Amino acid sequence: MSSLRIPLRASARSGTARPSRRGAPGSSGWPFVLPFLVFFGLFLVLPIGYGLWMSFTDSSLTGHGDNTFAGLDNYAEALTDPEVWSSLENTVWFTVLTSVPLVVVALVMALLVHTGMPGQWVWRLSFFAPYLLPVAVVTQVWSLLFQPDLGLLNSMLKAVGIDGIGWLVDEKYAMWSIALLTLWWTVGFNFLLYLAALQAVPDHLYEAAAIDGAGAWRRLWSITLPQLRRTTALIAVLQVLASLKVFDQIYLLTKGGPDNSTKPIIEYIYDTGFANYRLGYASAVSYVFFAIVIILSIAQLKIFSRRED
Amino acid sequence: MSPLSRRALLRGAGAGALLPALGACGSPAASVASADEIQYWNLFAGPDGNLMKDMTRKIEQRVPDLRVNTTVLDWGPPYYTKLAMASVGGRAPDIAVMHLTRLPGYAPGGLLEPWDMDLLAEFGVRRQDINPTVFKRGLYEGKPFAVPLDTHPFIMFYDRDMMDRSGLLRTDGQPLPFESPAHCLEVAKKLRKDTGKLGPVFGHVNDGANAWRMFWTLFSQTGGAFDLTGARAGIDIDRAVDVVRFMAELIRPDCRTMEISTAIADFANGQSPAIFNGEWDLNTFRTAKKDKLGAAPFPTIFDKPAGAADSHSLVLPRQNHVDPAKRRQAHRFAAELLKSSLAWAGGGHIPAYLPVTASKAYAQLHPQHEYAQAANQPALDPKAWFTGAGSDFQNRMCQALQLTLISGAAPEKAVRKMVSEINTLLSKPNPA
Repeated sequence: MSSLRIPLRASARSGTARPSRRGAPGSSGWPFVLPFLVFFGLFLVLPIGYGLWMSFTDSSLTGHGDNTFAGLDNYAEALTDPEVWSSLENTVWFTVLTSVPLVVVALVMALLVHTGMPGQWVWRLSFFAPYLLPVAVVTQVWSLLFQPDLGLLNSMLKAVGIDGIGWLVDEKYAMWSIALLTLWWTVGFNFLLYLAALQAVPDHLYEAAAIDGAGAWRRLWSITLPQLRRTTALIAVLQVLASLKVFDQIYLLTKGGPDNSTKPIIEYIYDTGFANYRLGYASAVSYVFFAIVIILSIAQLKIFSRRED
Repeated sequence: MSPLSRRALLRGAGAGALLPALGACGSPAASVASADEIQYWNLFAGPDGNLMKDMTRKIEQRVPDLRVNTTVLDWGPPYYTKLAMASVGGRAPDIAVMHLTRLPGYAPGGLLEPWDMDLLAEFGVRRQDINPTVFKRGLYEGKPFAVPLDTHPFIMFYDRDMMDRSGLLRTDGQPLPFESPAHCLEVAKKLRKDTGKLGPVFGHVNDGANAWRMFWTLFSQTGGAFDLTGARAGIDIDRAVDVVRFMAELIRPDCRTMEISTAIADFANGQSPAIFNGEWDLNTFRTAKKDKLGAAPFPTIFDKPAGAADSHSLVLPRQNHVDPAKRRQAHRFAAELLKSSLAWAGGGHIPAYLPVTASKAYAQLHPQHEYAQAANQPALDPKAWFTGAGSDFQNRMCQALQLTLISGAAPEKAVRKMVSEINTLLSKPNPA
């Protein structure tokens, strides 16, 4: 069995695209992609275009000002709106707080499970199980754990002589608490991706290394981690995108508080569009955010593809 | 079978499978709703939802050929967004429930239509039968756009036994009045000492409305100006600062980091002698406290009686094509709901229909009857398109108050932040 990377690297080096298997793509695939294309068009492409148009108008949810073309006014307002910047800052801070541990912890967990822990299925199950819970359940459970007075976390801290922490009620800790919850909740998915990748690393590489006298650390650094590079790139990109669009758990736990310290930009967009009815302006803020996400994604892709070479 | 024919087969099957899927995009509701049913939207879940379901069912049994198709939507921004969109689209329900304080965002924009008071009178509900305070708030340009079903105020629940032990009950069982903010703080301190646990509790952390309700209650008691009609907020800053300072002092010992669920649990479990809360949690407390449960309008701590409140009101969302028969039935249904609102009082709300609150049966409802007076001193949100129940405005005010309540910043800082948030909202174009 060949490893995941070898054929890809070979084709990249040869510099020629692989010839398509059976000539030009025929029409026979259409029935398979048509349902997807219809829904993709109806529920993604169309709304995206409509939203872009709306961002140049004064459109409101109550139906007024729909036809007033506002030009770039909304964008000018968005760029000078302090709340756009503060909520954007919160979003980026959350992304930093979650993305790194969600990659590193998932990797460590996968390595531990893969390398000889007994009862693998128990670990697989318990690490992945939280990911299956709906967000409403996760926030309910954790809001109990986070309770300043009755919560389990503070009771545990008090038991070892540390004063309780205002997990969700103190500006200093609220975002960290939400990041902690998110780590617990979603790390299982990345863990599973890593575990699958680990299982695909061919044994003969380890055998060869063992014959050459490589120790466990050497094998980790020189075989396992390089073999996981593509998976890491994938997880990192997916994770950053997922973290940037955080909304549910924050909205359910803190409504963006205390004192707006956890309000992500999606909540600001939601408040502007659906609570204050300014659809045009909310669309413009969405597009500003969209542009930032695109730039970040391209930068990330560049970084990882450079490593590939 | 050759590959070619297999593909052709799949192509046929794929297209065949797609057609019914697209066909299903038609209106499934059409098959459910019958022609003479009126469509009714409300936002009642949980115990209130069951009460409303029950009332509707009984009305249908009582009134021949009145059929109501109820849609329950999640309360808060989702509800109001959907109601606005349905009205803009002109395919709104025939009748809907709405918080009275949301009216300024809806009535001026032409999203609602006024009630025909003559028609309501025909079905037995006259204008003078409805609590005038909330009824007046439902007027826009002199026309009644909302018919209030109830008033739901922020009140005080207390434990009769614990209050009695501290000598804080009058002979008629009602709590002794407070003389001043300082007196209130003293009483709280005494209660804390006597119970050996918590004083009065108040859940406000990470809640989108409660800190605002408390502030608005107390600020309304000062009688200060809180004017949101101009281009900038006209707010009596000194009084606002006094109120925030008082709130911080009241909650500092026990409730600085009190979440609403903790506060409810603390009061229900006997950790605390009293809680400032909405009457809508009545049934939770009654289950826990039984006969020991007392309730009173929000105590007058500053100058004059007032308590933050809102009202579940009935509205007629705008429709492109109004069916006169259904419009008539909607009036009939509204009248019937008001007349049967003794059942609604079971959930704690104070009916707006005066013959019900004046009835013997209502006088026997305890502790509802004890705080019925709160309906005469309701402090509804200041009028602006962005205020009201479930609004972003309330959440912003709560966030600003948290500066002082949780983080211990100077009260001036919280008030400054409130004013700047309001000025931001005032500077945005009114979408209505």
